[in-house]
Amino acid sequence: MSLPATSTGPRDAHPAPGDSAAAPLLEVSDLKVHFAARRQRLSGPRRVIRAVDGVSFTVRPGETLGLVGESGCGKSTTARAILNLIRPTSGQVHFAGQRIDHLNARRMLPVRRDLQMIFQDPYASLNPRMTVGSIIAEPMRIFGLHPLRRQQLEVMRLMDLVGLNPRYLNRYPHEFSGGQRQRIGIARALAVNPRLIVCDEPVSALDVSIQAQVINLLMDLQRQLGLAYLFIAHDLSVVRHISDRVGVMYLGRLVELADADALFRSPRHPYTQALLSAAPLPDPVAQRARQRIVLRGEVPSPDRSYPGCPFADRCPIVEDACRQQVPTLGGGPHPAACIKAPEL
Amino acid sequence: MKAPPMAEPLLSVENLQVQFRTDDGLVEAVRDVSFQLAAGQTLGIVGESGSGKSVTNLAVMGLVPQPPGRIVGGQVRYRGRDLLRLSQRELSRIRGNRIAMIFQDPMTALNPFLTVAEQMTEVTERHLGHSYRQALARSVELLERVGIPAAAERIHDYPHQFSGGMRQRVMIAMALLCQPEILIADEPTTALDVTIQAQILELLKQLQREEGTAIILISHDLGVVASLCQSVLVMYGGKVVERAESETLFANPRHPYTLGLLRSIPRWDGRSEQRLMAIPGQPPNLARLPSGCSFHPRCPYVLERCRRECPPLEPSGHGGDKACFVDVDTVHDTVPTREVSP
Repeated sequence: MSLPATSTGPRDAHPAPGDSAAAPLLEVSDLKVHFAARRQRLSGPRRVIRAVDGVSFTVRPGETLGLVGESGCGKSTTARAILNLIRPTSGQVHFAGQRIDHLNARRMLPVRRDLQMIFQDPYASLNPRMTVGSIIAEPMRIFGLHPLRRQQLEVMRLMDLVGLNPRYLNRYPHEFSGGQRQRIGIARALAVNPRLIVCDEPVSALDVSIQAQVINLLMDLQRQLGLAYLFIAHDLSVVRHISDRVGVMYLGRLVELADADALFRSPRHPYTQALLSAAPLPDPVAQRARQRIVLRGEVPSPDRSYPGCPFADRCPIVEDACRQQVPTLGGGPHPAACIKAPEL
Repeated sequence: MKAPPMAEPLLSVENLQVQFRTDDGLVEAVRDVSFQLAAGQTLGIVGESGSGKSVTNLAVMGLVPQPPGRIVGGQVRYRGRDLLRLSQRELSRIRGNRIAMIFQDPMTALNPFLTVAEQMTEVTERHLGHSYRQALARSVELLERVGIPAAAERIHDYPHQFSGGMRQRVMIAMALLCQPEILIADEPTTALDVTIQAQILELLKQLQREEGTAIILISHDLGVVASLCQSVLVMYGGKVVERAESETLFANPRHPYTLGLLRSIPRWDGRSEQRLMAIPGQPPNLARLPSGCSFHPRCPYVLERCRRECPPLEPSGHGGDKACFVDVDTVHDTVPTREVSP
């Protein structure tokens, strides 16, 4: 079914996707988010959880940057700090050239038109008492985007765009399946015609066959609308498939950042290598032929400060120098925060 | 999966049918499921939510809540005895002893008010008649076996004092206390990070190798199944739609649903395809199953016949069994790309 297009076509301001010369849309510099944790004993030391500990990256217009890492690595906290849902301890976030990390709610509001989000849980992120139509129209109302009588038409156009039947406008979220609810969340994010969408584990709650539908939808929308995504997930296959560039996080730090192909074909950081070797493949023959690096132990608690590399305790190639100082990420097309990375 | 040629299989599920009475109507969770498990074998059961994979195994363990559940038909034969006909008392001698189960979420499967020692010692005191001392020694031994550091001290901790991966190890240790012949693992690594998942899979492999424990692994994750299991059942809408040796199934899937699943997951090794071949639509509502083959509304190969008749599970001619009228090699598929109705 085709509905008349209203104002939500691709914006003229969107340069070609992946254009590396373009000014970054999002720029995160040395972001730190520390939380004060409860003391273990009344007389014990004050503990600090370093959830995000000095993360820097950029997202260019029209590209997808994937962030991967295990639970507690700080990827979701990074997203929340970018969206101004929590205040960073230090560091800066620039969006479209404007510094946004210190803005109050009123001054952040206009930025939210360009910077939207999609959440993991399609059950918890939609108000069960609102119809789908009013859920998708709400951002338009907040920003006063369309005259009231045009809003319904616009909602129907968006529903069609994300693959929902516009006839179900007046139904409630519980009448939809998980995959369809995620489509509703995507339509709501698109309602204000954003330039960047932060997607926090958008497909991990969905069944395998439904995951592919939502991934395809996100990629189609990116092509049609010139959107940029910051795509956060723990599933390496999904991240590789959807991302232009990928960053790997460990204990609040970015340990490697590269083009998706380069990162998965020739990982430089020993943590990335271990992560890839641990990820199962749906192929018993390839599986058996693989070299496994099974890491010892678990991710340590982020409440201690380490003199050296945070990965040192689990690293299969650790040496004394690693425990002296924290390795920096460095520059170039494929930086890795490891002093042994050049020889890898 | 082929049955071993001579001996009777360790576990044999025959024509199992389980229903649930719900507000939505009668839900047919398991519809005529049969499979066999030989001693020391690893069998994977793959399927999405609502495919019946978990209920099948709850029925094997005698854990289907009745009501609202009801086992309508079939047999679960373990060493020649039908577990479905045993009294609770007889069953409890086998359950946790000869057949043990581990669950997805160790935090809800362990009792938060009891220390690990209290929960573990009860098992061998009850099944093997151990004294507390013997039971404690056995429990510590198993915790060490699954890689819990300082097990003799940690055993007196409460479950919340362990990390997720360590709690899963505790649960595995508890399941192994009586050296079960069969271990049923329901999504044992789904809640865990990928590096911890690798450790747990390695542990399960080692158990199967060294103790000869037969393992049924229930998972939605095709990669996890491929890395552990010798043979695989694929379930959809309460039925087994395909079964084969693992290598055959992943290399040469014969049922359109298995084929669709494998095509719809991206792979991080190798070249990334431009577009995933998603399966359109969504898994069926078990209270209102479609006529004929329950996959037919989503199937790109659908024939007129599929809407009327339910295909039986028969040899596929490629070393496994499939429940489908179509030979996927001979038909060109036309994959519809969108779904529209709820």
